[in-house]
Amino acid sequence: MKEITGAAALVSALKSEGVRHIFGIPGGAIIPVYDVLYEEPSVRHILVRHEQAAAHAADGYARALGKPGVCMATSGPGACNLVTGILNAYMDSSPVVAITGQVPTSFLGTDAFQEADLLSLMLPITKHNFLVKSVQELVEAVRKAFQIAMAGRPGPVHIDLPRDVQTSKAEVKIPAEVLRRRKERYEPDPHRVEEAVKLIEEAERPVLFAGGGVIWSGASPELVELAELLGAPVVTSLMGKGSIPEDHPLSLGMLGMHGRRAANLAVTECDLLIGVGVRFSDRSTGDARHFAPKAKIIHIDVDSVEIGKLVRADVPIVGDAKRTLREILKALRARAKRGVRSEWRERILQMRREFAPKMDYDDVPLKPQRVIKEIMEVLDEDSVVVTEVGQCQMWAAHYYTVRGPRKFISSGGLGTMGFGFPASLGAKVALPHTKVVDVAGDGSFLMNSQELATAVENEINVVCCIFDNSYLGMVKQWQDLFYGGRRSQTYLGKSPDFVKLAEAYGAWGDRVTRPGEMAPKLREALKCGKPAVLDVVIDPEEHVLPMVPAGGKLDQMIVGD
Amino acid sequence: MRTRIFSVLCENVAGVMMRVSRCFTRRQINMDSITVGIEPSGLARIIILFQADDKMTAFMRKILLRLEPILEVQVLEPENSIAREICLFKTRKLEEEEMSETIRLVQSAGGKVLEIREGSLIGEIGGNHEEVERLLSSLGQGMLKEVARSGQVYLSRNNRGSS
Repeated sequence: MKEITGAAALVSALKSEGVRHIFGIPGGAIIPVYDVLYEEPSVRHILVRHEQAAAHAADGYARALGKPGVCMATSGPGACNLVTGILNAYMDSSPVVAITGQVPTSFLGTDAFQEADLLSLMLPITKHNFLVKSVQELVEAVRKAFQIAMAGRPGPVHIDLPRDVQTSKAEVKIPAEVLRRRKERYEPDPHRVEEAVKLIEEAERPVLFAGGGVIWSGASPELVELAELLGAPVVTSLMGKGSIPEDHPLSLGMLGMHGRRAANLAVTECDLLIGVGVRFSDRSTGDARHFAPKAKIIHIDVDSVEIGKLVRADVPIVGDAKRTLREILKALRARAKRGVRSEWRERILQMRREFAPKMDYDDVPLKPQRVIKEIMEVLDEDSVVVTEVGQCQMWAAHYYTVRGPRKFISSGGLGTMGFGFPASLGAKVALPHTKVVDVAGDGSFLMNSQELATAVENEINVVCCIFDNSYLGMVKQWQDLFYGGRRSQTYLGKSPDFVKLAEAYGAWGDRVTRPGEMAPKLREALKCGKPAVLDVVIDPEEHVLPMVPAGGKLDQMIVGD
Repeated sequence: MRTRIFSVLCENVAGVMMRVSRCFTRRQINMDSITVGIEPSGLARIIILFQADDKMTAFMRKILLRLEPILEVQVLEPENSIAREICLFKTRKLEEEEMSETIRLVQSAGGKVLEIREGSLIGEIGGNHEEVERLLSSLGQGMLKEVARSGQVYLSRNNRGSS
């Protein structure tokens, strides 16, 4: 067997995992790996302009594709810049494999130049992390990292790679399979399934509450089938958006703090809530003690830690969403058909009609609802919408109708401003023939706007729609509602001129100010052959409503007009 | 809230104690005791004592099982397990009369005198937590110069622990 360097072993291990794209920035402690990438045609490296963007892009890539995304950085500052992005991936259960250079092993712990204790820093924000000390360990770590990232509940894994391991030579064998002694529990306990089926049969007003786990396990068909079989509506968490096509008559959209009224009311009225692949976050439940107050709760999740953590579960089921729903469907079909609960179905359809969100505003300055409406006119069901964080995100989550899984990508758990634009680049790299639109706010966009250079240089043609209200809008909204309108440090002003900013980077830029302009300009932007920025000037006074104040009850929403 | 005992079987890899202990720190739990030893298989067994209610105990067990190097977490109950602790102690310089009284105390408590040097005694007491505590308190704070305790280790009496 031939001796190869650690750097070469890493690249061939990545190739054997099927890695085609890496997002990253080189630096002193990882030059040997980049030296191998220099002559590796089958792996495309996308040079970003800040490592945070590399992590978010890998995250967006993973979510769009359903496979691990890979990011790379040098030691110390490069790796530390990944931290926010890795935590973001961890909070939203996204499989990101991060690889960083590290000072040589003999320098570890000496405060060497660009040294950071990454084993400690990455430990609480990854599913697992490695500091590899030899070439053989390295190839095993890569194999394990990809397995861990995708196993059960997905999540990020970090490999820290000292410089001397990259340059030392060894004979290595890329292992076919790294045995995991501990097995994830994918198959649900049949007794629990039986208990669940019993509750489902007895229920008069069941609701399905779908989260990101439905999307990761590919359980959308089973979810829709169960909903139709029962005549039960489906509400989703932010991560679960798209788990059911939202134009389906039984889809009530997102629930929670900025959820749809129909979704929040259905959960409040239901007598059985079936949570699938959800973690009942505080943004979804409001006051957990009053969440689904009349309901028995069935909680299905592959991660047993989530069950019973925040909300009581009458029937806890640890298992993969798809397999569990299949078992439930099988059992239900085998029994005497109870049929669709038509009364409840009628109530759902009535709520859907009554609380249909209003979007056809003609105001100037533009209402964000109107902008979303025009975006929806242009995008097809395959298009991917990525969002930044804040008001823009909640407008998109509330109003935008997603028609399939992996078509809506947003930073949920961590709520990371600056996520959307780099994540949209990752999504576009994953799906080059799909339209990818970043719904941004001016505040969030500025946190990673340098990535316009990445987009232009790598011809990653996404369209960034900046909902520009010159404010850190969501904070301003809280100040308006809960702090007597004292807008402390939330006014961002008129700088920069986003059109000129886009043009300065060599991107396409245009401004939208009036109703009817968004759709044609978005069409033009999608066709322009460049990355594009649309500066959409919206009403700075507009709040995201309805809203359940933090810790409030879901049926007690602050509503707008 | 009462004392809980975890017996955690894990891979013996660098950083595993940090992975385990931070899970407790993050949930505002102060561990009463944590010990680790290597089994003949090469795997490590960590014994952790902490205060928690039933819900938190079940939660922490699941949290630990989620860690990659962890293979098994048994929840031990005192009545179904054997507990031991070892304690080494050094006294201040003792007068002759004090010394003979101390030796008597140590021996009657089931401890051992290991060494007497320059008028100071180094002794050992092993047993359950209460036996160790009893001897230490009867010797008294004024008498003891240095104490090293192993922390408590528990072994399940059953072939399988309650987990």
